Amino acid sequence: MNDHGEIAWCPGCGNFAIRDALEGALAELAIPPREIVLTSGIGQAAKMPQYLAGNYFNGLHGRALPVAVGVKLARPELTVIVVSGDGCNYGEGGNHFLHSLRRNLDLTVLTCNNQVYGLTKGQSSPTTDLGRMNMFDPRGNENEPLNPLALAIVLGAPFVARGFAGEKEHLKGLLKEAIQFRGTAVVDILQPCVSFNKVNTYAYYRKRVYRLDVPGKDRREALEIAEIQGDRIPVGVFLKDESRSPRETAGRLFRKSVTPGDMENLLQKWHGAA
Amino acid sequence: MECTILIGGQAGQGLASIERELAALLFRLGYFFFATKFYMSRIRGGHNDHLFRIAERPVHALSGESWDVLVSLDEETQRRCKADLSARGLCLSPAEIAEIEKRAKDGFSNVVMSNPLLVGVLLRIIGVRSDALEAAAREEDQPAALLAGMALAEEWDMADRFVLQPRAESPYTFDGNSAIGFGSLLGGCQFMAAYPMTPATSLMLYVAKAALELPVHFEQAEDEIAAINMALGASYAGLRSMVATSGGGFALMTEAVSLAGMTETPIVIVIAQRPGPSTGLPTRTEQGDLNVVLSAGHGEFPRLVYAPGSLQEAVDLAKRSFEMADRYQIPVFILTDQYLADSIQLLEGSPELSVALRQYEIFDASYRRYALTPDGLSPLTYPGLGEALVRVDSDEHTEAGKITEDLDLRVRMVDKRLRKASRMDKDAVLPTLYGDRDADICLISWGSNREIVEEAADRLTSEGHPVAALHFSQVYPLVPAMLEGVSLAGKRLIAIENNATGQFAGLLKRELSLEINDMILKYNGLCFSVRELCDEVAARFFVPGGVK
Ligand SMILES: Cc1ncc(C[n+]2csc(CCOP(=O)(O)OP(=O)(O)O)c2C)c(N)n1
Ligand code: SF4
Ligand SMILES: [Mg+2]
Repeated sequence: MNDHGEIAWCPGCGNFAIRDALEGALAELAIPPREIVLTSGIGQAAKMPQYLAGNYFNGLHGRALPVAVGVKLARPELTVIVVSGDGCNYGEGGNHFLHSLRRNLDLTVLTCNNQVYGLTKGQSSPTTDLGRMNMFDPRGNENEPLNPLALAIVLGAPFVARGFAGEKEHLKGLLKEAIQFRGTAVVDILQPCVSFNKVNTYAYYRKRVYRLDVPGKDRREALEIAEIQGDRIPVGVFLKDESRSPRETAGRLFRKSVTPGDMENLLQKWHGAA
Repeated sequence: MECTILIGGQAGQGLASIERELAALLFRLGYFFFATKFYMSRIRGGHNDHLFRIAERPVHALSGESWDVLVSLDEETQRRCKADLSARGLCLSPAEIAEIEKRAKDGFSNVVMSNPLLVGVLLRIIGVRSDALEAAAREEDQPAALLAGMALAEEWDMADRFVLQPRAESPYTFDGNSAIGFGSLLGGCQFMAAYPMTPATSLMLYVAKAALELPVHFEQAEDEIAAINMALGASYAGLRSMVATSGGGFALMTEAVSLAGMTETPIVIVIAQRPGPSTGLPTRTEQGDLNVVLSAGHGEFPRLVYAPGSLQEAVDLAKRSFEMADRYQIPVFILTDQYLADSIQLLEGSPELSVALRQYEIFDASYRRYALTPDGLSPLTYPGLGEALVRVDSDEHTEAGKITEDLDLRVRMVDKRLRKASRMDKDAVLPTLYGDRDADICLISWGSNREIVEEAADRLTSEGHPVAALHFSQVYPLVPAMLEGVSLAGKRLIAIENNATGQFAGLLKRELSLEINDMILKYNGLCFSVRELCDEVAARFFVPGGVK
């Protein structure tokens, strides 16, 4: 492991395993750090890029995705990975989640889903279970939780998977597959928060999690897998549709400038009398 | 000698095409002209006025004199504007318009031909002859219909009623937003993300169209928050980037303005102002967003705000914005408004076509994005160049771009960011002093009012009311050097602004301790006209024989 200085996560936090799995995946894929751009928002999970080798843009809460879209459009040759929390990607950044998936750029979108707002100390997030107590509502969460993977499938994301921080090796494999996938790959990662989520613990997940052997054969089947909730929680690839190619980007733009000749043409054509 | 034309009617009646065709032909025939529009936020119905001023010398504002030709596509225009017709004025009332439509149907089996027919009538009124027209018209201008229109003008005895000589040698025509778009491309802009909003939309269209053939990308974002974050991502990744919007969309961008300040990511933000608060008057003009641009984004960080007052300034300052954004690693703003955005003008002279390029310095693994330096500027590079890792953070950060809560370092980082501003003094764009320097009165303007005020100064002076005019196209920061060499001592200073509170006058006082004595403010959503401004200045500040 690299020396990344002091780490701001609680001992036992699921983010450590996710960090290790991602670090391992990038190393095994032999992508040089200089060609990796990680974008994140704000939250505990959003600190992940600080503890990995790569370029990063640690932006605003909820805005990791549009930054990644901008980076990818500008530099299609870079490996661009979004990594942030459930509050960041599904809550504050919900609109970007919807529309970035419609773009289907070659991005990897990772969400460390601890079903809680960690950094702000325990409020409900969009994925908090019904009835779970939280500081804003002692009667428990009254809102139906968002099903991010069902949403991603409905929105047309071609690669949709779930991982679990408690199964690091399996997660590493998923992350490798997601990064290598050409198109937007969405991975929701079950991430126990030992400080603020006393319900969805390691033990809770271990009891329920099971591995999928094969992805759903189409969107409908993938959606059925995504609907499995409660006592059984599938992990693995739900959908992998390689028939769709990612959206074309504009081709090479970086270090390829508009020329005075281009401007002369434009001037004559759009502004001149000729 | 001049001819002013008002063409009024409802949205959906073809006014935009008439404007486009008339402007294109005036330009190719070599006339000096200025065109702008007053329009409503409607796709159909409502009342829209397209205003032309045709002259034998350069014109860059509405004169405000009564109309020489009134074209009423509907009764409402006729009712509203008839009283403003000049004594020798001509009127094409709905009855004449109906006749033009009939000729279009009879002669060309196509009612759309009434547009070139009408344009033909108008051109004949200002003295254009068929041989000149045939030389200037292209196939798509429908020369046959234009000629039929000219014949109709003869038939109606309107030919040669306001004869003007084509004297313009200006090779190019722009509206304000395309001048900003053109300047941006000269500035090396290669990325724009945007969400449509009047009056900024035409600038988006300009860049989107350019992107079809140039190494430039345009992305329609899901909202303004996404737009600016995408642009910051693209800028971080290595492309000079911009966004454009109006006040409401800009309000959504402000958190990311602060992000640009903190991460020191260069970005150019164009705000085409319209009257607020809130949705306000979507298609009208105002200069009401200066204060919000000055304070947008929480926290303290340097910024630069330009407000072009002419096509040339729009081109030059747009280009310069990208240079300055990179040089100081800051957000740079261009404040324009509906009036300038929608005004079609001739560009006097030819723009310099060199394209400004980003520098791509290469560093080794010891690179630190926020290296502390004497001038506050840390070397800027982009991911994937050399072994340097480019790590930027919206949290307070170390030199290497890592989150820190070291409070001593915090102070050094704040100082570093603010230190960049002290170097910006030497790059300040100085204001332009115009007119009678010895006059006791000086009109002060910023942004789009420049050419209206300068023409008003000329006219006032020639009418025996000498005034000077001082225009600011860099509105922030304001630096003492801007007032050196423009001796304002003893002058009565009058701020001319399209807002209700004199925002720029307040800024001059705050930043330069310059006391503005009086203000002429207009905030009904329309631009000033030259006549209106002259009358107001003469009435308020002069008595027969001298200054009040
Ligand atoms: C615009 C904005 N609103 C609110 C916050 C405060 N805030 C920071 S992180 C966070 C929630 C974090 O939740 P999540 O994204 O799930 O990350 P976690 O800490 O759980 O990993 C909030 C509300 C902020 N930084 N910015
Ligand atoms: S608060 Fe929860 S999510 Fe945050 S570091 Fe601690 S355990 Fe992890
Ligand atoms: Mg969370």
